Amino acid sequence: TDQKFFTMMQNTILRRAAAPLLRRTFSSAPEAAASGMTLNFSLPSETIYAGAKVSQVIVPGAAGEYGVTADHVPVVAQLQAGVLQIMHEGSNEAEKYFVAGGFSITHPNSVTDISCPEAVKIDDIDSAAVSSAFEAAKSAFAAAEAGSADQALAQIDMEVNKAMGSAVGLSL
Amino acid sequence: MSTPTTFWRIAGMSYTQYVTRAATAVRNGLKEPAKTKALQHETFSYNAASWEAGKIGPKKQVNKLTNAGISV
Repeated sequence: TDQKFFTMMQNTILRRAAAPLLRRTFSSAPEAAASGMTLNFSLPSETIYAGAKVSQVIVPGAAGEYGVTADHVPVVAQLQAGVLQIMHEGSNEAEKYFVAGGFSITHPNSVTDISCPEAVKIDDIDSAAVSSAFEAAKSAFAAAEAGSADQALAQIDMEVNKAMGSAVGLSL
Repeated sequence: MSTPTTFWRIAGMSYTQYVTRAATAVRNGLKEPAKTKALQHETFSYNAASWEAGKIGPKKQVNKLTNAGISV
């Protein structure tokens, strides 16, 4: 019983010592749900969203696609050519944009800044133009000298057109 | 970051050159009314003027820096 009492004392001391740490890691869920996330999405030519309250954004990161909701861990991500999906509050359908690249920065206060050189609506993408541009880029890539600027330009064209193709349902 | 790892760095391009090329590729893949509007985003021109004795001369629009006598 002495042993048992000693163990109980130890556990109490450990729990009490750990309590401040535990309190810090416990997130206040009702506050998180109420604040939501804010989206700033801009291009050089126009600002698409400034201070918009949205429920989720799915970002085509260069290291992989990821979703951002309120209280997401801060992230700085380079974007690849791909589809950016914005889920507005109270809606099941995502608003989609095809972005050429850029950066997405999620701050600790649940503000996400997305800055892209160009973003277009998926409906505006011309499948025929994308397929022919992909084929042209593929030939240019094969014809260019390995490691040259021409080959790099052809590779950019190939990757972007392939991503645009998959956004409209083509598999290039 | 001394060893280039991306294909565009290895080929001597900067990130800005890479991403503007990607943006051009996106604009060229659009359907017509959107395409003309988007291609306007990438047009640019320069005005060149010479300074003489502290005064700026007349501005002339040039579409390439080499036409203004600036070697790029």
